[in-house]
Amino acid sequence: MAAQRTSRKRRKKEQTEYFFDYSMLFIVLFLLGFGLVMIYSASSYEAFQEYKDAAYYLKKQLTAIVIGLVMMIVTANIPYHFWERFALLGYIVSALLIPVVLTPLGVESHGARRWIRIPGIGLNVQPAEVAKLCMILFLATLVCKMGKSVRTMKGFILMVIIPFPIAGEIYLITQNLSSAIIILGIAVLMVFVASPDYKKFVIMGVGVLALAALAVFLVVSGDGEGGFRSGRILAWLNPESDPQNKGFQTLQALYAIGSGGIWGKGLGQSMQKLSFLPESQNDMIFSIICEELGIFGAIAVILMFIMLLWRMMVIANNAGDLFGAMLVVGVMGHIAIQAILNIAVVTNTIPNTGISLPFISYGGSSVMFLLIEIGLVLSVARRIQLKELA
Amino acid sequence: MLTDNNKLFHRKKILTAFLLCTGILVLLFGRLVYLSVWEAEHYSQMATSLHERERSIKAARGRILDRNGVVLADNKTVCTVSVIHNQIEDPERVTEVLCQELGLSEEYVKNRVEKYSSMERIKSNVDKETGDRIREYDLAGVKVDEDYKRYYPYDQLASKVLGFTGGDNQGIIGLEVKYEEYLQGEPGYILTVTDAKGIEVEAAGERRVEPVPGSDLCISLDMNIQSYATQLAAQAMATKEADSVSILVMDPRNGEILAMVNVPEFDLNNPYELPEGTPENISSEEKQNLLNGIWRNGCINDTYEPGSTFKIITAAAGLEAGAVTPESTFSCPGFIVVDDRKIRCHKIAGHGSQDFVHATMNSCNPVFITVGLRLGVEQYYKYFEEFGLKTKTGIDLPGEAGTIMHKMEDMGNVELATVSFGQSFQITPIQLLTTAASIINGGVRVTPHFGVKTVDAEGNVLEVMEYPAVEGIVSQETSATMRQILEMVVSEGSGKNGKVEGFQIGGKTATSQTLPRGSGRYIASFVGFAPADDPQVIALAIVNNPQGVYYGGQVAAPIVRQLFENILPYLGIMRYNQ
Repeated sequence: MAAQRTSRKRRKKEQTEYFFDYSMLFIVLFLLGFGLVMIYSASSYEAFQEYKDAAYYLKKQLTAIVIGLVMMIVTANIPYHFWERFALLGYIVSALLIPVVLTPLGVESHGARRWIRIPGIGLNVQPAEVAKLCMILFLATLVCKMGKSVRTMKGFILMVIIPFPIAGEIYLITQNLSSAIIILGIAVLMVFVASPDYKKFVIMGVGVLALAALAVFLVVSGDGEGGFRSGRILAWLNPESDPQNKGFQTLQALYAIGSGGIWGKGLGQSMQKLSFLPESQNDMIFSIICEELGIFGAIAVILMFIMLLWRMMVIANNAGDLFGAMLVVGVMGHIAIQAILNIAVVTNTIPNTGISLPFISYGGSSVMFLLIEIGLVLSVARRIQLKELA
Repeated sequence: MLTDNNKLFHRKKILTAFLLCTGILVLLFGRLVYLSVWEAEHYSQMATSLHERERSIKAARGRILDRNGVVLADNKTVCTVSVIHNQIEDPERVTEVLCQELGLSEEYVKNRVEKYSSMERIKSNVDKETGDRIREYDLAGVKVDEDYKRYYPYDQLASKVLGFTGGDNQGIIGLEVKYEEYLQGEPGYILTVTDAKGIEVEAAGERRVEPVPGSDLCISLDMNIQSYATQLAAQAMATKEADSVSILVMDPRNGEILAMVNVPEFDLNNPYELPEGTPENISSEEKQNLLNGIWRNGCINDTYEPGSTFKIITAAAGLEAGAVTPESTFSCPGFIVVDDRKIRCHKIAGHGSQDFVHATMNSCNPVFITVGLRLGVEQYYKYFEEFGLKTKTGIDLPGEAGTIMHKMEDMGNVELATVSFGQSFQITPIQLLTTAASIINGGVRVTPHFGVKTVDAEGNVLEVMEYPAVEGIVSQETSATMRQILEMVVSEGSGKNGKVEGFQIGGKTATSQTLPRGSGRYIASFVGFAPADDPQVIALAIVNNPQGVYYGGQVAAPIVRQLFENILPYLGIMRYNQ
């Protein structure tokens, strides 16, 4: 009896020696599943009008998710240190990949040239997504390489400067301000974690806010001259002033949120998805969630994101080494920034810019890269020895 | 591996980052709650107005009823047949059926069936039976919408009084315009939910705001009197080859008009039809002028020289002022000299010595000129205004013409003399009738009118119209004297063709030459009322440009006689010997 008991204890210890974060996997799967339901709800009407197939977007998204899940499992099973050697290569590749959108390989959609068609598979990939992943990898590697010199001013400046070329490329070549902001945001967050200082970051935050306020002030006092971006700022301040053009999408999103109210209209009952709200299955899917499921649907989604971030924080805090921790922090930053910006845009808290809601919005390449990142995080989690779990 | 020290600050930083992100998400959630709770009504209303498309439903126009409740203007359900290109499944069958049912050429229908548009109208104003038949074919893409169309059961009856309506059911002329606000009602709506491209969302159903039908208008017109008067007028016009004949019948006590006939009338159900023989290539302006002429209501839109019927007014003014009494004697040598002008009597030999009653019976011009001159320009003009002749009667029909009269400063004795027997100025027939009615009814200037009251569909009275009445324009005595004198005119004088067996009729004839003088064109007229001692009905017949005999006493008086023979028993006016 006693021998049996000890052997059972031993087996148990062996089994649980390494950690697999099922909670996080569940959250991700939940978000993906919920996203599929909402994509079908938001897109079926238009998909049927356009392609005579109500499930057109659903099928494409499902394919991308299946491919992404396979890639996630593969990544989760590869020790994450394997990727360390590709850090510099990744940085260079992403820098080279962005200008490719200008070549015949580039694909134009919604008036912007941001995609590359991978020959043979017929899959479109956004170089910006590649760049986000590579940036996380590169900075994590760099933080480890630099060791204590991260804490010096020189190290800090180097870390802050590194994402700029890529972000600049994305902004200038693909006209994609939001991805550029996300890359800078990821970098700042990673540097923030790597460096023990607070003061610099507070100053930086205040500086960014002051610049933003100055920009808004200049636009408002400048009678709206200055084109595309300044028009967006004016439309942000008062979307009802230009309901047909600049303020259109924002206003339609607000209509959706307003008509959803507390309880929502019920799943599938959205009116705004009937071609009123552009990109309803994509960047604006959150407003359809609000319209159909009300505040309760919205809080479920927000809570899921908070829980996901919390799981990542736990993994980062318990990562086997600094490299793993930094990788997780990068992914966490990526998802957090994108979710925050998306919800902020939909609720007209910030000026309109195209950002998708992680895991939920329609977009094959986005969800695939996000799943690869989740795979990385799971890989880091697997290296956590349970005795170290605090 | 993280050193413990490192781990500590990293952990703190990671926690800070997590809390920061969570904090922002919570703030965003707060913003969301604000939007979907506080701003919900604002945005959902805007969204609803964006999603709903409005289609209006015509309100049924109020009917027009005569004094006995006979419907003179009604609504008929008609259909509009249209095709929706995208929904058509069998274009050949659709073309075939529509050609056959609507009697249209194949080419016309085919063009419309094949035209790529959201909705193409094939034919409107289709009978309900035809519309129902087309609906029974149940063809995809063919839409039959019901609609109201104004319908006049008696076609031509009182056409110039009732008027007709246009394409949007709005009044164009006549009572239809005057009482537009009562008749029109309020349109309703069908609010359909559509997507951004305007395609109806079937599952969402529709919201209806029901239309409010217009009120029914009850008018004083009597369909029977009107149709009989129309027959008489048409008959007179045919036998006398006249240009037009008008007959007015009114209750002198309150101004209610019982009949207003202007032949030729036109077909209210087909008001834009031009008379036969009109050249086809006339310009739209010419066409409009022609139509305006056809629609013109001569009794109120046109003026004429009243001639001898106006002697009623001169006589009343003379009696009222004491310038003449029924017993005053005059001598008529066949003419009278006013200033330097010699004005002839219609009887060239003259009427010789006669009292005022006989002068009126004879319609002697020199006597009435004398009465006018006794009054003088100022006094005559004062009575002219007091009787209400300078102002419009205020009849409830659009386009009443005003009086054309000399200015008082420009009036000399010659002008006064001509006015005294009804020449050199112009008034409308309704003005003459109203003034005559006011003199014989005891001196109350009434407002001629049609509109009596409005009622709802259940017959509940909504509003009773009221009209001004000015009392005492002549004294009761003068009024009574006038009634006696005018009764004599009919019983023994120039108006004896207006006599009706068994009734006391008062009246006065007139034969006026139209301008320019010497054209040979005359207007024969007769105004008569009954019973002479207590007038309950007054009628005016005007025959415009009769051929052959043109005297009012021979042309117009018989019309009123025939009218009275029929309508007096109908109106329940007793014969004096019963």
